Amino acid sequence: MNVIDINHITKDYGQGRGVFDVSFEVKKGEVLGFLGPNGAGKTTTIRQLMGFIKPDAGDLQINGRDCFHDTDQIHRTLGYLPGEIAFIDTMKGLEFIRFVASMKKMKGLGRAEELIRMFDLQPEGKIEKMSKGMKQKIGIVCAFMQDPDILILDEPTSGLDPLMQNIFVDLILAEKARGKTILMSSHMFEEVEKTCGRTAIIRAGKLVAVEDIEKLRRNKKKVIEILFETAVMAEQFGLSFPDAKIKGKTVTAVIGKELDAFIKQAGRYTVYDINIRSQNLEEFFMHFYGGQDHD
Amino acid sequence: MINGTLFRREIKANGILFIIFLGIITMYSVMIVMMFEPEMGDSLRAMAESMPEIFAAFGMADVGTTLLEFISGYLYGMVLTIFPAVFILVLANRLVARYVSDGSMAYLLAAPVKRRSIVISQAVFLIAALLLMALYVVGMICAASAVLFPGELEVAEFIKVNAGVFGLWIFIGGICFLVSCIFNDSRRVAGINAGIVIYSYLIQMVSQVGDRFEGLKYITPFTLFNAKDLASGKTGAWVACAVLYGAGLIFIFSGIRIFNRRNLPL
Repeated sequence: MNVIDINHITKDYGQGRGVFDVSFEVKKGEVLGFLGPNGAGKTTTIRQLMGFIKPDAGDLQINGRDCFHDTDQIHRTLGYLPGEIAFIDTMKGLEFIRFVASMKKMKGLGRAEELIRMFDLQPEGKIEKMSKGMKQKIGIVCAFMQDPDILILDEPTSGLDPLMQNIFVDLILAEKARGKTILMSSHMFEEVEKTCGRTAIIRAGKLVAVEDIEKLRRNKKKVIEILFETAVMAEQFGLSFPDAKIKGKTVTAVIGKELDAFIKQAGRYTVYDINIRSQNLEEFFMHFYGGQDHD
Repeated sequence: MINGTLFRREIKANGILFIIFLGIITMYSVMIVMMFEPEMGDSLRAMAESMPEIFAAFGMADVGTTLLEFISGYLYGMVLTIFPAVFILVLANRLVARYVSDGSMAYLLAAPVKRRSIVISQAVFLIAALLLMALYVVGMICAASAVLFPGELEVAEFIKVNAGVFGLWIFIGGICFLVSCIFNDSRRVAGINAGIVIYSYLIQMVSQVGDRFEGLKYITPFTLFNAKDLASGKTGAWVACAVLYGAGLIFIFSGIRIFNRRNLPL
């Protein structure tokens, strides 16, 4: 059963910005990652799900209700974390949380206290004086405190330090185990990798694919940069890996399954330095789906 | 239909602003009422005769001799039109545009409410604040007059003048609320609204100085409020007053409707 249904929505902001004929769905009890580089149309899609903007064409439904008109019904059991941190700045943290709880017609603060402890949030001060991470935590508390069945989270870990990111991942996994339906956008593969079963990938406003996370993980590669002792070594090493880029003493290559061969080959030369990082999303897309759509 | 939580939050957020404006209005009003004293009134008249254009600009030309005429001439020409207008343009901006501008509207709309009930709530708050201000002004001036000049004020006629000025406030409130509902940037809303209010008032000032620019009175809404004619029960003045109420409410409803349907950059 689908909880969230997005059917052929188009919202054209001109100059290629917006979303174009995007369709996907989120099933009950599923955590769906919504992956794409900045400016790809993730937030534009989410704003339509929240009923802030109307699609030019197509329609969106949550639990079978129209996302623009039936917000009062839909939001009864929906938690939302905006992508841009925006609060009523003059309020104090706890005051704002109370205000949101009251707007949500909650009796009391629900899970707020538990979440405040979980994320080590100090909600006493004025929001405008708070750090970005602290503000993000307030947003998370507001989204989860009602214990809603559906969660729409726009870049939920931005601004959080790695420790808090891990706590957040644990929270998502716990909510998933409790049967919650979650749509979570991100521009980082690692973030969705740990939590999501499927991933919708969007790029330049168009949905590229909806894939199982396993398939993406298998195809994911590392970018390895090796600094050799001499330029000659770099060149010789480069002969065995035609795709590698050679620049002076440095060789840069994108490596997947051939990692073992790559490392063993490098071991024959004198290595001064090695740098390994994951592909960023844009590089990953270029490999996985080709670069033809990229302008 | 209105949202209690939001209404309470607005009371808390705008209470101080409201009290400050009431304070300013009270100070000026009491001062003017005190000046009704025969000798003080004479000196004010002498001043008016020495610079008739300036007094005329503020609608203070040929002020009569009764306390009511004195008050409507000296108070309802400027203090009770321009100060409330400033209050209205700040408040209207805070009620809608600021939430959109800083993004916090997202939290209001993520609540299980219809968008309509949020914006209606804000419109009701604006009207309620203005009504409270009008009631306070009536009570305060009546009280000041009763203490300083017992029995001098014709209360029934005075209330008529206030019914008229409340219409002007609703009109200005309607325009400012509509603009606040249309645009995304609160600074822009402030600019447009301040422009409209200042322009309208300046035009009125110019139109009141001599006959040369009298025609200008047809392009400013302030002309539709005429304290003297309202008090004496002239039909034309009441028609104009009804136009202010009607147009003001139409602006507010249009604002609600537009906000309800438009795309919000949250």
